[in-house]
Amino acid sequence: MINSSLMVLVLSQAVTYGTPILFAALGELLAERSGVLNLGVEGMMLVGAVMGFWAVQRAPGPGSLVLVLAVLTAAFAGALMGLIHAFLVVTLRASQIVSGLALTIFAGGLGLSSYLGNDLGLADVPPKYQLGQINVFGLKNVSVVGPILFNQSALVYASWALTIAVALYLSRTRFGLNVRAVGESPGAADAMGINIAVYRYAHVLGGGALAGVGGACFSLSITPGWTAGDSLVGGAGWIAIALVIFSFWRAELCLVGAYLFGALSGGLPAAIQAHNYKAIPTFFKTPEFLNALPYLTTVIVLVIIASGWAKRRLGAPAALGIPYVREER
Amino acid sequence: MPMISIERRLAQPRWLSVAVPIASVGVSFLVMAAVLAATGHNPLETYRRLFDAAFIGSAAWTDTLISATPLLFTGLAAAVAFRMQLWNIGAEGQLYLGAIGGAGAAIWLGPHHATVFTILAMCVCGAAAGSLWALIPGVLKAFGRTNEIITSLMLNYVAGQLLTYLIFDSASPWRDISTVQTRSFPQAIPLQASQFWPTLSPSNIVIPFGFLLAIGIAAVLAFLFRATRFGFEMNVIGDSQRAARYAGMRTRRKILAVMAISGAVAGLGGASQVGDFAHELDASPQGLQGANYGYTGIVVAALGRYNPFAVCLVGVLLGGLQNAGLFLQGVDFPSGLVGVMQGIILFCALGGELLIRYRVRIRRQARSTAEDVPAADAKPTP
Amino acid sequence: MRAITKRFPGVLANDSVDFEAAVGEVHALLGENGAGKSTLSNILTGLYRPDEGEIWLYGEQARFHSPSDAIDAGIGMVHQHFRLVPPFTVAENVLLGEHRPEARRFMVRPRQIERHVAELGERYGIAVEPRARIWQLSVGEQQRVEILKALYREARILILDEPTAVLTPQESEALFVTLRAMAAEGRTVIFISHKLNEVKAVADRVTVLRGGRSIATVDANATSRELAGLMVGREVELAIRKQRAVPHRPDVALEVQGLSVRGDRGGDAVKDVSLGVRNGEIVGVAGVAGNGQRELAEAITGMRPPVGGTILVGGHRLRTGDPRAAIAAGVAHVPEDRLGTGVAPTRSIAENTVLKSYRGSGVSSGPLLRWRAIREQAVELVRRYAVSTPGTHLRARDLSGGNLQKLVLGREFSGKPKVLIAASPTRGLDVGAIETVHGYLRQAASEGVAVLLLSEDLDEILALADRIVVIYEGRLTGDFDPGTATVEEIGLAMAGGER
Repeated sequence: MINSSLMVLVLSQAVTYGTPILFAALGELLAERSGVLNLGVEGMMLVGAVMGFWAVQRAPGPGSLVLVLAVLTAAFAGALMGLIHAFLVVTLRASQIVSGLALTIFAGGLGLSSYLGNDLGLADVPPKYQLGQINVFGLKNVSVVGPILFNQSALVYASWALTIAVALYLSRTRFGLNVRAVGESPGAADAMGINIAVYRYAHVLGGGALAGVGGACFSLSITPGWTAGDSLVGGAGWIAIALVIFSFWRAELCLVGAYLFGALSGGLPAAIQAHNYKAIPTFFKTPEFLNALPYLTTVIVLVIIASGWAKRRLGAPAALGIPYVREER
Repeated sequence: MPMISIERRLAQPRWLSVAVPIASVGVSFLVMAAVLAATGHNPLETYRRLFDAAFIGSAAWTDTLISATPLLFTGLAAAVAFRMQLWNIGAEGQLYLGAIGGAGAAIWLGPHHATVFTILAMCVCGAAAGSLWALIPGVLKAFGRTNEIITSLMLNYVAGQLLTYLIFDSASPWRDISTVQTRSFPQAIPLQASQFWPTLSPSNIVIPFGFLLAIGIAAVLAFLFRATRFGFEMNVIGDSQRAARYAGMRTRRKILAVMAISGAVAGLGGASQVGDFAHELDASPQGLQGANYGYTGIVVAALGRYNPFAVCLVGVLLGGLQNAGLFLQGVDFPSGLVGVMQGIILFCALGGELLIRYRVRIRRQARSTAEDVPAADAKPTP
Repeated sequence: MRAITKRFPGVLANDSVDFEAAVGEVHALLGENGAGKSTLSNILTGLYRPDEGEIWLYGEQARFHSPSDAIDAGIGMVHQHFRLVPPFTVAENVLLGEHRPEARRFMVRPRQIERHVAELGERYGIAVEPRARIWQLSVGEQQRVEILKALYREARILILDEPTAVLTPQESEALFVTLRAMAAEGRTVIFISHKLNEVKAVADRVTVLRGGRSIATVDANATSRELAGLMVGREVELAIRKQRAVPHRPDVALEVQGLSVRGDRGGDAVKDVSLGVRNGEIVGVAGVAGNGQRELAEAITGMRPPVGGTILVGGHRLRTGDPRAAIAAGVAHVPEDRLGTGVAPTRSIAENTVLKSYRGSGVSSGPLLRWRAIREQAVELVRRYAVSTPGTHLRARDLSGGNLQKLVLGREFSGKPKVLIAASPTRGLDVGAIETVHGYLRQAASEGVAVLLLSEDLDEILALADRIVVIYEGRLTGDFDPGTATVEEIGLAMAGGER
């Protein structure tokens, strides 16, 4: 049966593993469109992951409600992390690069996420609830597309809605127009009465919330539970940052890119190891090479992008990374 | 209602650039105390124990210097690059490569050479390996205008996998495959005692050779920044790439050179890990890969404001913190606390920068309404 | 506006300024550069908050906490440096920040706005294609978009800050007609300028600012001499042009042949330009901003590699695209962007003194720098070019614009150049500094340096140049002798009228 074929397996894993990257990338996209680079995505995801899992273990009530609560908790925790960054770079005009790195260290695998996880006693505890696959409209068994698209967790479906929402928001709404202006040319936006700081805060916070949800994808759905260190998220946040560049700051392209990296980090390694292909030299079948694949691919894609189209800086917000100061002469 | 206004300082007083970082450390301890109290720990008690474990007694100092040594290397590596606004955050991976190079040199040479010669070879190979690894993002940046933050970071993960591969999944020269037991339970080839790096103990405190090496490198770097044409060019490029081009500087070559130096310093840190402490290529998850020396180095560099000697000082302080964190780790001192503290210190230092660059004035002004921003404008993401 | 005071660090930009404009008049704010005109208008539009003073609109006191308050109060502003978003369309720029209740829709409806913008453009004779992207428009069209933005918001008071600086003389005339029409409709137009003839041509009344203070409000029928006297604070000679006595030598120092340079947006910004500058000659390149001046200057100085053509300095072919080669050949450069390009802003004055010469034997030996020699050079330069600063250890960005430009000029002259490329060397400077800079340029020429002066200020070029060429869309469209050419002829060439 085709639905148990390797290709379908790889693709359905691509969607599963691509979803946290997609959430985080959409969040980063919003922040960057408002002109703020946030390199702390990895940290925000880790904190989202641990807090989401905490809510699952501690919140009372029926399972589905608890899970909704858990996702919201993760979003809230991510937004709080975003708030630190926003305060430093928008209000205090600190270097966005250094502040983002500081956030990664603060929140990351040896920082807050670890502290919270250990202090709340979450390490290696079996999950009380987890987000399971939902068989949408009973389409699970439709050949090929069924397992890939219609047998996923609720977060996957939410990420599709979110992608459309972000794309429409940026291109079709008044606020989206204003955000793009804030990221392109804050001086112009300011003169037209747009409050730069409010927009930047809102989008960095929103971006943090989405990164938090991205982290929760791991702790609630993909590998339910929490382990100390940074292996839970394992660089997905950084890939998300790179993905925003690959996708020329466009939401719909983020979706495609996220699934490509999902395939590389989830489906493909599993498939190659399971089916010991003779044609592939041994080195390329080692777990280490397969683990390194998404990172290597990121570097290669970045090089291709930078050498070709990006010379015209397609889509990059012109004021990205630059603090806005009005009364400076 | 009082109004806060932020104005650029016309001149930056010298004393501020010393006072503000110290004050930020003070503030960060206050913030941290709040975090500790909020999570049900006694801040004063925790601080006292931290300080005891880090800086009271020669055993504590010995451990602190051991923890500080790699941070000095990675801190200096980050400082060199960041000074030129070259965001090499790949010190982590460059350190692994340095360890691979350093261990490789020792294994290849064998135990029958003079220690001095072995150390020299390990340093050269470690530095070269780290340097080459750093040149990957360097070349991509200089010739392909690729974002070095992401490429150098991605290569950290790749370097980690390489390290694991060499010991756990291959028959590499670094792996001990001499016995049946080591073939099924992977193990690295250990260094011979004659290849261990020496230590210096003026009193009861043991100072690793790597620590002294790092101080020496700091001195060389300080000289480079201050007294040479190369340092002059680095400062100008770091300040404004356009001004550097205008002045006829060869920016591309500087990028390559600085990445190479940065990687070499981190690589030396890796060699020192092998020669000073691990005495083998430690690929276990609790070893090099679990320590995050490269990332902590970023904190060290930023707190030291990219000044080599300040980086050494901060490195010792954070080394103490890390050492104490390891020592005290347990139920009432959860792991992760040290990272949180480092993060908070860095946040406070970043906020403190504002005080150096700007003058914050609070003045009173009659205001009819509060900030009347239309609420709809603040709408977050859909 | 009553008793408006605004301080910036180290500067008192407005010192209890009083100013009043009536409904339906064109009111000019006249003052030299640095007199506080822009600060005053930025206060009126809510961008800056005054430290002291009150604003009254139509008999009611107004308090602006942000630009949106000022927009709601019916104030529209055309900034000197446009506040437009380059990748957006005209309609999107007009819609930006819109928050009036009747227009407060969640989704954007571009069609409707495009129609509205087109109508407004027709009515006031400032039509612009509403779907065009800003970066595709000429500077004059961009200014129209700024005016349309204000009209779309039904501004009752329109402020224009030096609007003619980016226009040809003919375009300026057309703008004046539009402004008069708007005043006739009952709007108030505030016209900020430092040019007497324009103020007299368009305004009903004139308020003169000097040194941050309001000096007087007079009828625009006052004579030019009176106005100039108020503006400068002393009796002035109105003859601007000063003939230099030194005859220039015949040999060509800088020769550009068939130069083509690509712009930032793709496409050639400079097309097949040929020109020569002789020793001791000042050649002025006139043109409206954004017609390839920057690319031309950058190509000659090596900052930007050309796609075709050759550059000869003193008869020798220059290796293009390499600033170091240009420096070695004796090409000095006063760049348009002094703070980010002309100096490294956070490095010290001393370091910036040797920004180009640090490789030389005077200040370095081998790979090492000789700091004592560097400091001595800096002190000498500061003294000789009268850079006002407490010390050479200060960061370059701490200098005022005029002093910064003196530092740049002094450094460039100290390299004993053969050729000097000066791009907008007086932009944003106050009157005293402008005179000093002009003096240095004249002095350089009289010492035999070939000077290529690129400026959007036609008056500056008329005052300094021995020969004027005009650049329009990357091509040279005119070559004039300033002694005989009229402003109309040059203006026509600036608009591409004459090939």
